[in-house]
Amino acid sequence: MSEIKTLADLKKKQEEMRNRIKLRDSAENPEAFVQVKVAMATCGIASGAKEVMEYFVEELDKRSIRSIVTQTGCMGYCYAEPTVEITLPGKDPIVLGYVNTVRAEEIIEHYIKDGELVDGIIPQNYNTIKS
Amino acid sequence: MKWRRLTGIVLNRCLNIMVDMAMHLMDISQNSIRADAKNIQIAFNEDCESSRLTFRVGDDGNGMNEEELRSLEDPFFTTRTTRKVGLGIPLLKMTCEQTGGFLTVESEAGKGTIVQAVYCTDNPDCLPLGDIAGYLTMLIVANPDIRIKFTYRLNDKEFKLDTDELKEQEIDLRQSGLPGLLKPFIAENLKELFFHRAEKSFLC
Repeated sequence: MSEIKTLADLKKKQEEMRNRIKLRDSAENPEAFVQVKVAMATCGIASGAKEVMEYFVEELDKRSIRSIVTQTGCMGYCYAEPTVEITLPGKDPIVLGYVNTVRAEEIIEHYIKDGELVDGIIPQNYNTIKS
Repeated sequence: MKWRRLTGIVLNRCLNIMVDMAMHLMDISQNSIRADAKNIQIAFNEDCESSRLTFRVGDDGNGMNEEELRSLEDPFFTTRTTRKVGLGIPLLKMTCEQTGGFLTVESEAGKGTIVQAVYCTDNPDCLPLGDIAGYLTMLIVANPDIRIKFTYRLNDKEFKLDTDELKEQEIDLRQSGLPGLLKPFIAENLKELFFHRAEKSFLC
């Protein structure tokens, strides 16, 4: 990949990329997106949440899954860091703990794509999930 | 007192955890985001002559009153409700003081805050820089509505990145694939800059 040194380079590369990607998400409803929030407080950062976030950003993009990946502060589960909160469209958010890149792959493959619950969910409430 | 001993132990364990400057960058910026800042200025100023690295994060968020300012360095002070411990600033203080540097925080309620940490780069305990490009990219991409101005100054040369400038150039922060372009952009520019660093410096 040629080097990107100046802002003009960056802009050119982005335009090239834009022409390659099919037009999507123009005036989309944000509720139709998968929302992934990675906890980025001291506990999260120290346990490697940045790698997890980079992984989600890259992989969701590669698989063309419409999503918004953001950071939040501490959700209180410092013992289980890195943690992620995933909200599938139309569903309640769930929080997963002990996430690394391997588990992130599992989460994307099983939960985000198929809606299948995976290991490592941190219970928020004690309602039974009716599928 | 038991709690004080516990702090000591926790901080000691964390010594191996906050391993580099890039992590501090993300951590302190998160504080600014929680304070509802709309503008965050992150500046690194490295002077090889005097062997000093000044790390500065300024924001225009809610600021703090005097009492809060005084309790910042206490790990058991935090404004969050999910837990009773706030380690960001105490860890920053520890890592800069272990090199012989110091931490200053200025804040005014309603105006904003400036956190400044000075590191001595001629001390072998100085933290490495880490993956600044990666952390900065994640910070920008996750907060497209906040104006982030990043400056790295090495002696008399500097690299600047201003998200407003990106917007002016019509580089879309929300477009997919941007992180894959932004990170090498920052990394390349920083690499070129670091080429000019003096060999005797412990910073890497």
